[in-house]
Amino acid sequence: MDSLIEELKTKIIAGFNLEGVTPADINPDEPIFGTGLELDSIDALELVAILEQDYRIVILERSVADKAFASLRALAEFVAANRS
Amino acid sequence: MSRRNPVITGSGIICAAGCGVAAVWESVRANRSGLGPLTLFSSPRYANHLVGQVRDNVDALAGNARGSRSDKLCWIAAREALAAAGLESGPGKINPARAGVMIGATVGGMLGTEQFLAALLREKKHRFGPLRFHECAGAADLCARKIGALGPVATLSTACSAGAMAILAAAELIEQGEADLMLAGAGDSLSRLTLNGFGSLLLLDPNGCRPFDARRAGLSLGEGAAMLVIEAGETALARGANILARLAGWGASCDAFHATAPQAEGRGALAAMQHALEHGRLQPGDIDFVSAHGTATPDNDAMETRALKQLFGGRLPPVASVKRFFGHTLAASGAIKAVLAVQSLREQAVPGTPGFEVADAGLGLEPVKEFREQPVSRILSNSFGFGGNNVALVFERADSDRTCSVNFSRSKGFAILGIGAVSAAGGSLAEIAAAFRNGGPAASAFPVPAISPTAQAKVYACGEFGADQFIAPARRRKLSRLQQMALVAARKSFSPGPAAIAPEKICVAIGTGLGSLNDTAAFVENMILKDERAPRPSLFTSSVHNSLASQIAIELNCSGLNSTPIQHEISFETSLWQAATELASGRAEFALAGAADELNQYQLAAGMRWGWWRESSPEIRPFAGALKNRERPRPGEGGAVVTLGPAEKTVPPLAFVSAIRIGRSEQQNAGSEARWIAQTLERDSISVANVDLLLTGANGLTEPDNFYRAVAEGLSRLAGRGIACGAYKHACGEHHSASAFGFLTAVGLARGEIAPEHCTMDKTTLPGGCRTVALFTFSPAGTKGMCCVRA
Repeated sequence: MDSLIEELKTKIIAGFNLEGVTPADINPDEPIFGTGLELDSIDALELVAILEQDYRIVILERSVADKAFASLRALAEFVAANRS
Repeated sequence: MSRRNPVITGSGIICAAGCGVAAVWESVRANRSGLGPLTLFSSPRYANHLVGQVRDNVDALAGNARGSRSDKLCWIAAREALAAAGLESGPGKINPARAGVMIGATVGGMLGTEQFLAALLREKKHRFGPLRFHECAGAADLCARKIGALGPVATLSTACSAGAMAILAAAELIEQGEADLMLAGAGDSLSRLTLNGFGSLLLLDPNGCRPFDARRAGLSLGEGAAMLVIEAGETALARGANILARLAGWGASCDAFHATAPQAEGRGALAAMQHALEHGRLQPGDIDFVSAHGTATPDNDAMETRALKQLFGGRLPPVASVKRFFGHTLAASGAIKAVLAVQSLREQAVPGTPGFEVADAGLGLEPVKEFREQPVSRILSNSFGFGGNNVALVFERADSDRTCSVNFSRSKGFAILGIGAVSAAGGSLAEIAAAFRNGGPAASAFPVPAISPTAQAKVYACGEFGADQFIAPARRRKLSRLQQMALVAARKSFSPGPAAIAPEKICVAIGTGLGSLNDTAAFVENMILKDERAPRPSLFTSSVHNSLASQIAIELNCSGLNSTPIQHEISFETSLWQAATELASGRAEFALAGAADELNQYQLAAGMRWGWWRESSPEIRPFAGALKNRERPRPGEGGAVVTLGPAEKTVPPLAFVSAIRIGRSEQQNAGSEARWIAQTLERDSISVANVDLLLTGANGLTEPDNFYRAVAEGLSRLAGRGIACGAYKHACGEHHSASAFGFLTAVGLARGEIAPEHCTMDKTTLPGGCRTVALFTFSPAGTKGMCCVRA
């Protein structure tokens, strides 16, 4: 799980062009959006696109995304359970 | 009724609920949804979604009208509206110079552009044909041509409030006395871009929208068009027109909050509704029925309910959302609701809310479920768009004898408080003056792989334009290149001075000819190449045209009217007109007006294929007659924004602007254009004899150059003295927002910072001085615009 968390951190930093942010800056137990990373709801939707592109996980409902993005750890668990 | 109060004398509609007012009203009466399967094009990702597709044969119904599906939908609705107003064969007794067209559009010819890109990317085939009808302005051109309108003609693109915004602008033109009759409305076709775009934002409910329902899960996309004939009360009565209803009030606002999400408390929505009531001198208790925006997204319906409760308190009139009858038709939505509001007032009945079944305790609002007869005197109709662009309209019964006072008075002019640009020639007056001195900016090569892997076009590109200096990194990564260009120009321009300004008193109108082409293309490429897998939401949001104006409103905190006009080469002049209207009415104290366009390889490829551009297109030499007429001058890009406001003693204005006007001509006649310019100047108390220079869109092509030269000669005859003819495109290149750069050039000339000999036809130095510059732009499409800049 920890390696998946690190992998997701890298994808988030690269996918959102987060200049100057390192994986260590992201706390896996904090909400991904609406915190210090200055990521907003459009970024959350971009993350939906990244999950589909890289893990073939299709999210069509916002409630599913909201739950999955509660924290990076929650996201890693969601990806592990749903990837194909 | 006051003389200039706008009245509605005709209406027309086509949507999934039927073609024609009678057919649609029959669906409404039966509470019958027109949603069904998507067959217009195949969509692997959204194949099972219910959509509001028009089932009639649009091509056949449109007759000989040429254009995109959106354009044709508009013309079908327009034809019905004109017939209802007794104007089948054109404006009839109405003076064509007093008739105009105002259209709301967001999709334009995207459906055809997607076909072009699919053929190119999948089969490597060059089918550029559909790109001829790509622009949103096509419908306004088509309708204006059909009815021979010679008054103001323009297109406004404020996403899902565009139809209501077009009706608002038409009403303003009538109230100001700029027109006696306006054909106003909107149309949008379904497209893959909007379907995948809304899908990427997780805003679609596959089973059809359920407005205000506890289980609501998103909107259903639809298509259609609706049009109104709006006339001044006095001229409608004089020609014996049958008045169907009155437009009693209108208001606009901007959330200045987020690109796609509404401000949760409904602050902007409430402001728009309040402005509409104030404009009509109405109280909340005067409203009998609310036609809600009611898209059925969880956020919209919650926000709208909060705003309604704040406005009406405990006395909320009946509310309904008609979205499930035909889906969310984007720009057309506000116009379709207008046509239904007129019908409600005539039939004394209100529509229900198909799709609504289970009340949402959290909302505490139960909409009208089914069609019912009830007395209705006034209807409030809401339209909210991406970027928080809100418009509210109030429609009133035709027999109401209430008088609305018209609060418009023609202003003698506005102070120019700041200017900013992004262009190949630079961003400040000093840099632009230097570029003129050097005979034009340096050209660069723009790759056009759509033609061949090595193909390039010679262009005037903006290069690095200081985005990192003016925009914080966290914001910058979310903005398209064009958005960044517009924002940098706006930041350079906006210097409000020491006094704090109330955000609701700042209006933003930033036009564009073609919008964020590169992000739009990237979204569609991704969609085609990946069979609609993983659509990219950020590329979709920046493809929304009015994100240009709304992101500036967010960054600079401006919550007054927010708009993005799209009208070929006069997109800037249309922005200037909207900004001036808000200032003249007193609704705004400050206004940012501008325009921006960016280069894109597909646009260049089409131009090269059509023989407009060569890889080595020569530099622009206005009045030199060097280019053949089939060719087009060297393409450019850029943006410019001007801040207008009161002339405060603490901030000496750069210059003043007045005589702001838009119009249309059937043919290029220099004599009549000179008279149009002179008349426009004189009604703002500027003597033609005071004009030193006519600054034009001359671009080195024989025909436009000769035309502009003849206009200057005509103007000289009217003035009884020689008026020099000038140009600016040799410093910015040819693009739809070039006249915004022209405006800055005019300011530089009037201030003596740009030497006249670098702009004038005969390199004349204007020994008498260059203090009054008339800026005149004539689009090949026939629309035109002007203003006058004075020191």
